[in-house]
Amino acid sequence: MVAGNFHSVERARTMIHPGRFHPVRIQSEHSDIARHFRIVLQPGKSLYDAIVQPLIQVGVTSASTTILGGLFASLEYCVAPPDPRNEAVIRYSAPIVAGESYLIFGNATLGRSSSDKPMVHCHAAVRREDGVVRGGHIIPGKTIVGDDPISVLVTSFDDFDLRQIYDPETNTPLFQPVASL
Amino acid sequence: MPENTVVEHGLMGRVAYARIAPNEDLVKGVEKVCLAEGFRNAFVRGALGSLVDASLTFKSDGSKVLVKGPAVEVVSIAGEVRTDEDNTIAATLSGVVADTDGTVYGGSFVPGGNTICMTFEVTLEEWLPANPADQAREASKSEDTQ
Repeated sequence: MVAGNFHSVERARTMIHPGRFHPVRIQSEHSDIARHFRIVLQPGKSLYDAIVQPLIQVGVTSASTTILGGLFASLEYCVAPPDPRNEAVIRYSAPIVAGESYLIFGNATLGRSSSDKPMVHCHAAVRREDGVVRGGHIIPGKTIVGDDPISVLVTSFDDFDLRQIYDPETNTPLFQPVASL
Repeated sequence: MPENTVVEHGLMGRVAYARIAPNEDLVKGVEKVCLAEGFRNAFVRGALGSLVDASLTFKSDGSKVLVKGPAVEVVSIAGEVRTDEDNTIAATLSGVVADTDGTVYGGSFVPGGNTICMTFEVTLEEWLPANPADQAREASKSEDTQ
């Protein structure tokens, strides 16, 4: 047996990213108290507006949310195969149109984008209109809440902010926690 | 807290959000977030990100399934982190992942088997078990009401 084969079986695979390895591997921040909110996604709104608008009204700009499941009139998602251009190790695929879909369970993070707008990063498992169950990165602006409201549990971050910041190691802008000004 | 305790009383404490970088292990990374933040015990409140490949287990014989990436998207995670009397910290994470076609798989994430691909976002809520005297008092209250 070749040593390389042994390792490929026994060891979890790693990847070489385009940028220089950053010595800090965990960026973390905390709040002393967790505030929770229950919000209800309103029929006809996009997932983006349905999460962002009520939270702006209560002054929440950074949060972790759990989408408790419900029917969406339309839903788009993408998956993350290897980047054909080799600019990063993976890139999101073109949007996949799932049609009317039941979102089984999902998590969404709210923060600020590189252009200082609210940004929602959501992953979920869904049952598509064709009956197939799939998972991936939900496109919040293209996913529309169905006729019935959907409950979401929100944990807000009051003592720090989430910001989409360019990460040189992966050559991709990513959410990172930063201490509040 | 003895691990055979059936009902553990306590309170939620601080909340932490962490971004774990590529090529770190998911389970060990979550444990290190707790070490970084000084959480002895915590529950996962939210988690999403990507793995190079996913290694999941779900049978008593310890057999594993390898979901090939990259990237395997983590769709949801439920789990907790516990620190024992020897100060050994252990995360137990269970969840659903999707491969590059979006096909979903589920199970318990194998420590050392789930390399983060691009990024991993995790929100942890600290769990503060009541001290032993308070645990005993709460337990006796429960018995009185039965």
